[in-house]
Amino acid sequence: MKKTVAAVYDRRKNKATTRRSQSAATAAWALAFTLNGKRVSKKVKPTQTLLDFLRIEMGLTGTKGACEEGECGSCYVLVDGKPMNSCMMLAPQVQDREVVTIEGLAKGKRLDVIQQKFIECGAVQCGYCTPGLILAAKALLKDNPHPSREEFLVGMEGNICRCTGYNKILRACELAADELGLKK
Amino acid sequence: MFYQPKSIGAALDRKAELRERGVFLAGGTDLVVLMNAGKATPEHFIDLSHVPELRTINRRNGTIELAGNVTHAQCGKLPVQCLAQASMSVGGPGIRELGTIAGNIATASPAGDGSTALLALDAEVELTSVRGVRTMPLEKFFVSYRKTALAPDEMITKVTIPTDYQSAWLKNGKRGAVNISVVAVAVAQPSRLQPERPQAGRLCNEIRIALASVAPFPVRCHKAEAVFAKGGDIRQVAETVREEIKPISDHRASADYKTHLAGVMVRRLLENLT
Repeated sequence: MKKTVAAVYDRRKNKATTRRSQSAATAAWALAFTLNGKRVSKKVKPTQTLLDFLRIEMGLTGTKGACEEGECGSCYVLVDGKPMNSCMMLAPQVQDREVVTIEGLAKGKRLDVIQQKFIECGAVQCGYCTPGLILAAKALLKDNPHPSREEFLVGMEGNICRCTGYNKILRACELAADELGLKK
Repeated sequence: MFYQPKSIGAALDRKAELRERGVFLAGGTDLVVLMNAGKATPEHFIDLSHVPELRTINRRNGTIELAGNVTHAQCGKLPVQCLAQASMSVGGPGIRELGTIAGNIATASPAGDGSTALLALDAEVELTSVRGVRTMPLEKFFVSYRKTALAPDEMITKVTIPTDYQSAWLKNGKRGAVNISVVAVAVAQPSRLQPERPQAGRLCNEIRIALASVAPFPVRCHKAEAVFAKGGDIRQVAETVREEIKPISDHRASADYKTHLAGVMVRRLLENLT
């Protein structure tokens, strides 16, 4: 059957196959930054998006790509603690910065409170939006440990979920905020 | 080539050398999206994300000076209501951390949220190149659809806004978030004490009204402002706005709807402000 969805990755070749990030700027960039607490130094094509770099070069496929124009939030990563759409960044922009992806949240085998609450509340269905949502919640709770429902809605308005209807997601975030509040 | 200068000077030197062949990369929320879609293939990048001078906010003589790379998230925390409201309505949190005020102006989108607020505040933009510095009101900066007064070797280094204005901003779009405006309106008026009240229920006769998504670029409505200054009531002002704007019918709404909506939004904002 012919695929009608635009295939962004050719899995066999393990590389992007679309016209993405085309440019005459091809000279490799010596990228050095902190990724999930570890120092990374790697030569990159400067026009590669951070999203592609994380997925293809680093093999961290927890960060998802969907709309690639900032509408959906499935590509969220934390850069110096702030949520950012990695599809809208070129890899060299995180030079000397600290990047955390969904893979960097758990401490060993212990999940982050937000991840735990997402599981407990059944806030995950297909799961595609989950990494972005969890990172958005993580950034929000760092700035504001006790958000109101309204503040949650603003903090997570950049993420689209097409399965759950958001109620369980909000519930999970609120429970995570409660638990983090109790720990302090 | 990809260049990552650490200072404004180094970035301007590079831009003077490359001119049209080099693009400034600030937030990337326009440029990288165009690249992802295969619609932009820049030859050289001058990445401004590592220039600390471009991230500063200074208060000086009753004004706030925003350096070019100040993000929407930073603007959202300013005590200038219309700009804060506009900035917080841009995209979602991730886009607000990336997108910059200079980028919002430079892209000259007809639907620019930040630009509307800045127009109502009569913001002044500072354009810098190796040749020197010039400033101009933001209104003069927009030339035509997606065209600005920016020369090929210039950078928007600063945007200056007054603090002694009370203002408000309103957007109507199709969604509650990550929303491009059908119409956006900003109004601002001096909050300085006037010698005497011009008429009951009004602080002063000076008002600035700016709209987005109703013209090829964000615009001020001078005729409506003049009607207000002559003591015209809010309905007359709203009606003049409707006559003054020239929206087009597009996939977001028809021209008639936008015209009607603009009047309603101006009226609501003015009723709350005065």
